Amino acid sequence: MEYIVIGAVILLVLFFIAQYNRLIRLNITVDEAFAQIEVQLKRRADLIPNLVETVKGYAAHEQSTFDAVVTARAKATSATTIADVAAADGALTNALKGLLAVAEAYPDLKASANFLSLQEELSTTENKVSFARQFYNDTVRSLNTAVKTIPTSFFAGFAKVDERDFYEVENPTDRNVPGVKF
Amino acid sequence: MAENNFRALASANKGKTYFLLAAMGVLTWLVAYAVLTYFGAGTASTIVPFAVGISLIGVWGSYYGSDKLVLTMTGAKVITREDAPELFNVIEEVVIASGLPMPKVAIVEDSAPNAFATGRNPDHALIAFTTRILEVMDRDELQGVIAHEMSHVANRDTLVSAVAATTAGAIAILSDFLMRMMFFGGGRRGGNQNQNPVALILSLVVLILAPIAALLLKSAISRKREALADATAVSFTRNPAGLRKALEVLAADSTVVRQKSNAVAHIWIESPLDAKSVSKLFSTHPPIQERIATLRAMESLGPQI
Repeated sequence: MEYIVIGAVILLVLFFIAQYNRLIRLNITVDEAFAQIEVQLKRRADLIPNLVETVKGYAAHEQSTFDAVVTARAKATSATTIADVAAADGALTNALKGLLAVAEAYPDLKASANFLSLQEELSTTENKVSFARQFYNDTVRSLNTAVKTIPTSFFAGFAKVDERDFYEVENPTDRNVPGVKF
Repeated sequence: MAENNFRALASANKGKTYFLLAAMGVLTWLVAYAVLTYFGAGTASTIVPFAVGISLIGVWGSYYGSDKLVLTMTGAKVITREDAPELFNVIEEVVIASGLPMPKVAIVEDSAPNAFATGRNPDHALIAFTTRILEVMDRDELQGVIAHEMSHVANRDTLVSAVAATTAGAIAILSDFLMRMMFFGGGRRGGNQNQNPVALILSLVVLILAPIAALLLKSAISRKREALADATAVSFTRNPAGLRKALEVLAADSTVVRQKSNAVAHIWIESPLDAKSVSKLFSTHPPIQERIATLRAMESLGPQI
């Protein structure tokens, strides 16, 4: 009889540990996923000075476009909360679209090898940003589901794991067109 | 939620795989039981573990070294970022979307557009492309193909097909062995003299039909895993149109990969075996038009989040 009780207690403890660990693991995945977004946003920010310089070489008088990109970039690099990062990210994407639209008018620029390789880098980074965002939202979805559903919900307070914010893109149309089209 | 969105499709295909794997288990058990009835306990207790053992060693050896083995069998060459920066960019995008580690990337010199994935787990994954597929596909299509291959990695399809191959192999070895024993009059020893003749005939039928049934199940599992990989690919890219266009390119192209070896047929995205010569039940891939239609249905659901 006592063996049955001991066995049941051990099973119960193992069950608690599994639930607790699941929450902690989900929480860490969300952190990692957010870090990935930041890595990609930083990569994009690093590409911008180079891109602006290259376009300037061919289209020096489009100052207002350059200013818009530089301002958006400064905002994006100083943002900290998820909502701020998301808003600045959306603004920068739009400013970059403006810059690339300007480039359309300069055939010499469009043909330069430097611009082509920057364009490829920028378009892959834009895709990576949007996929990192999507992956982050997926992990937040699993975490929030776990925090809200039984049995993991019983352990959320104990594990100090809370629901997390989704990474919302400000402009809903951006969701449908993640990549930059050239 | 519509029932043909990628999440519902993925879970339906997973459910079917479990069912088929369970059917494999039942079949193995049935064969073992037939051996027991027909040849008695003495023969059964030596020969069943023997057949399972041989099959295990053969299949699991190739499963463990699958990344290296497939490289030699297909003549694929591992490449680095410098060899194809654009391809690596697209792969990195899908890697981020899937949350998997970066796989090794290889190229096969071939005039047919095709691709495959292998490796025993996500950390040892390898995805390979023929030179032709990189020429004919645009960025979106290539992204779809890469997502399909990364889905095989994510769904651990090398493991699933290894399990299927082990059981099918064991059953084939068993029935081959026993048929020989019957023909050379070695059978029917042991404690079966007072057996019911109906049970004996049924066991014989099971032994004869089992290898075909195992092969059918193995092909069915492979087809479900392909359909699952298509659904998982959409969950990575959220862009069914890319993969659909890629499959249309593959369907329109009549050239097939030069190695027509059956042994590695199941790993390619498009079956390299001539579809007409293989009946639908034995085919390792669902018909490409069916896959295109499924993806088209997903497109009509609009952008999915």
